[in-house]
Amino acid sequence: MDRLEPLSDEARAAFARHGIWPAAMLVVAKADLSTDGEFADTWVVLTDQDLAVLEISRERIGQSDRGRQLREPGTSRFVSYSISDVERLTAESLPLSGILSAVVNGSPVVICRFTNTQARKFGIFAKLFGKVKEGKELTEEDFKDERSPAHCPKCGLLYPDQERRVCPRCLDKRSLFLKVLSFAPKYKVQIGLVLLCMVAGSALNITSPYIRGSLLFDQVLAPEGKYAGRILEIVVLIGAVQLLALLIGIIQGRMNAVVSARIVFDLKSEVFEAMQRLSLSFFNNKQTGSLMTRVNRDAERLQGFFLDGLPYFLVNVVTMTGIVISMVLLDWRLALLVLLPAPAVVYILNKIFPRLWTLFSRMFRRRSAMNALVNDALTGRRVVKAFGREAAEVARFGAVNEGVFAVNVETGLFTSTVFPLINLLMGIGGLVVWGYGGLQVVSGGMTFGTLMTFTGYIAMIYGPLEFMTHIVDWWSSCMDSAQRIFEILDAVPDVVEAPNPVRMPSIKGQISLRDVTFSYEPNRPVLHRINLEIEAGEMIGLVGHSGAGKSTLTNIISRLYDVEEGEILIDGVNVKDIAVRDLRSQIGMVLQDVFLFQGSIAENIAYAKPEATQAEIIRAAKLANAHDFIMRLPDGYDTVIGRQGYDLSGGERQRLSIARAILHDPRILILDEATSSVDVETERLIQEALSRLVQGRTTLAIAHRLPTLRNANRLVVLEKGRVVEVGTHSELVKMRGVYYNLLMKQREALRIRGVAD
Amino acid sequence: MDRITHPATRRSLDEYAQIRYLDPSECCFKKTEGGFLSLSIGEKEQYERVDLVRAFPLSDSDSYISVRDSEGNEIGMLESLSRFSDSTRRLLEEELGRRYFTPVIEKIRSIEEEFGYSYWDVDTSAGQRRFTVRRGHNNLVQLGGRRVLVIDVDGNRFEIEDYTSIDSRYSRLIESLL
Repeated sequence: MDRLEPLSDEARAAFARHGIWPAAMLVVAKADLSTDGEFADTWVVLTDQDLAVLEISRERIGQSDRGRQLREPGTSRFVSYSISDVERLTAESLPLSGILSAVVNGSPVVICRFTNTQARKFGIFAKLFGKVKEGKELTEEDFKDERSPAHCPKCGLLYPDQERRVCPRCLDKRSLFLKVLSFAPKYKVQIGLVLLCMVAGSALNITSPYIRGSLLFDQVLAPEGKYAGRILEIVVLIGAVQLLALLIGIIQGRMNAVVSARIVFDLKSEVFEAMQRLSLSFFNNKQTGSLMTRVNRDAERLQGFFLDGLPYFLVNVVTMTGIVISMVLLDWRLALLVLLPAPAVVYILNKIFPRLWTLFSRMFRRRSAMNALVNDALTGRRVVKAFGREAAEVARFGAVNEGVFAVNVETGLFTSTVFPLINLLMGIGGLVVWGYGGLQVVSGGMTFGTLMTFTGYIAMIYGPLEFMTHIVDWWSSCMDSAQRIFEILDAVPDVVEAPNPVRMPSIKGQISLRDVTFSYEPNRPVLHRINLEIEAGEMIGLVGHSGAGKSTLTNIISRLYDVEEGEILIDGVNVKDIAVRDLRSQIGMVLQDVFLFQGSIAENIAYAKPEATQAEIIRAAKLANAHDFIMRLPDGYDTVIGRQGYDLSGGERQRLSIARAILHDPRILILDEATSSVDVETERLIQEALSRLVQGRTTLAIAHRLPTLRNANRLVVLEKGRVVEVGTHSELVKMRGVYYNLLMKQREALRIRGVAD
Repeated sequence: MDRITHPATRRSLDEYAQIRYLDPSECCFKKTEGGFLSLSIGEKEQYERVDLVRAFPLSDSDSYISVRDSEGNEIGMLESLSRFSDSTRRLLEEELGRRYFTPVIEKIRSIEEEFGYSYWDVDTSAGQRRFTVRRGHNNLVQLGGRRVLVIDVDGNRFEIEDYTSIDSRYSRLIESLL
């Protein structure tokens, strides 16, 4: 059976010395810290009798200057506890590390320490310990949460970020680029044309110096030339070539603009679609938080790559190859001379440009920091003025401005020195051509026209080199963008519909929670073993301090997140089996911060039921006590609200969201702090609207202000993720427990506020 | 609203804040056999296990430290570690060092950058370690001056006390990642 982790030979031998043989080991896990908080190998082994810990300190290299105890290499420490003495085992997340803690014979004990890398593993370990202690058999099923370090199936690279399972090597190099291109097949014809134009354009570019050089000077202007004196024809030819190149350029540019914009358009649409499909937990991830805001920029960058980078790169490659071939054919010795400084130029550019990009990116960062500060100071101008902090803001701006100034100067100084030097360097090639070529012409070894052709090529060959030093960086940053985009496209939602979902077009609204445990992050459970039975049509008030898990409880009932342990049943069916559409269409929410979309009031009320008639919308608004204030607005129900529209007050927004819920007509209703921060009269209006809304629906209401829950059938008191009290208001008051204390505190607070007002 | 005078308002705000600063002379911290810290205050208060939480983990790690019981409730705060005896201070510092495990990078053996990730192999104050850092502006944080915080893909933190004093190829790389 799989035991979480393979045992090392060293550890196996050490455990054997203490009489613990591999056959007896049920679970094996390795922690990476010693109890002293140094990196070490600490093996934690569970048999059906014992919990054994073996700490093998690593050899320390060099002297620690912090006066820490230095140990001999390979020192080990062995401790063993009888399972019957260990009361419970918990994986705890400390701010920047973790511990597996136990209560042994009544005293708390640190079993082992580990870094965040192993937090998940020890969470599983603690769970498995619980099963073993209860005398249950461990099955394959118990190890299924285990995530041994995963490798990329294609190239075998260990995923650098185990939580993210993206192979950077494969993504960047092949599949990513091909994947981006996979958005292209629809435009096969256009892309083919673009490529054709590129090749044709390059060919014309290469012939141009030849016509102006060899052909013009040697064949037309020279008296002995093949086409001596036919000036008009050559001028027409030069003109025609120019015109053709121009035309091809225009066609290519236009096609390219359309195709690349199309590809990026498709990409953005897919990203948005994917974002709607994903579960909320995806967005909670810290790294993806910044990821979302960058999606647009990433898409733009990809567009830039397709529009400018890729075509320019291809054109340059074709042109440079063409030029080199032409030069060699014309005069291989001179060609060699011309190309001689090229490696040096490439080398120096490679040295200089990274420095330049660093400078540029620093400039960019400081400028955006400055913009952010200006933005802050302007949007927060009321606060700035109210606290009299104008001078401080000016000083803050001064400091940031100084940073921008410094980097501007540095960049300016650098570029104005380096670019002329680069030009000089590139000029060397030209000097060589003029010098050696000139001698050749004088001695008759080369025609003047060939020399002119060469000088034309020289001008063309060094320009692209500069671009080429940039392309690698550009390529990698674009692929980075593409990677972030595909991360969203390819992400699998956590909350997925069951393979054979149970259709429940009309839910009665009976809810049971059985042993529900839930955590957003490993080892930090927000809800512990919640058991609750809610009757259909019952109104439950959820009470508790902030952070007690009230909102989380409503989130898992509406299946915005899936629970790891225990189950939630609605009308006796596990929520995970209910068709997501049926579930969501019958759960309604009125939340603390009401989100209104850009649009009219009518559209916002009818958000969940766009086909609602005007009469229905008005009825819902009327029931929500919103009709009157809406009618006072000059544009009535057509008033545009949202970010750029009319600004509604908090109470008005609340009532709109109640109207939204009334129209949605859910069987299960969640009210999260619906009446916070409104005045007394508005609160009355909202309460009245709510009491109409909750009728006949199973309702879960969260409120800090306890009197607002007076209509609730039962109150459920949560504390630190556990249900501590359940009962009616008067029952709980009689109990004189948590609820009673909360109530008393609030009364006192209200009295104080009365004075402060 | 009608104005009610309540005796409570006459109490000072400090009393409402109810921050209990623990008197170093009354506190006795001890390391338990189980590896936790225990605390006894005066004669009567005894805690078998206490946890220390920094209020300013980045800007002032040795001041304003909250002492919490095993349930996570605050027992009181330590204003500054410097007010404790040497032995107690060392005990507290060690405990904090384990909780806020942030090894100081003493020597960089190598940093390899590939495909948007950098792979570090370093000697730290807690021993040798390899880790992976994802490219992105938030994973290398400059903490004022030349102190740099490095955050790996798992959220572990490492500190570089002065990035300009390390091997110049790496300090330039670090600068470009900042």
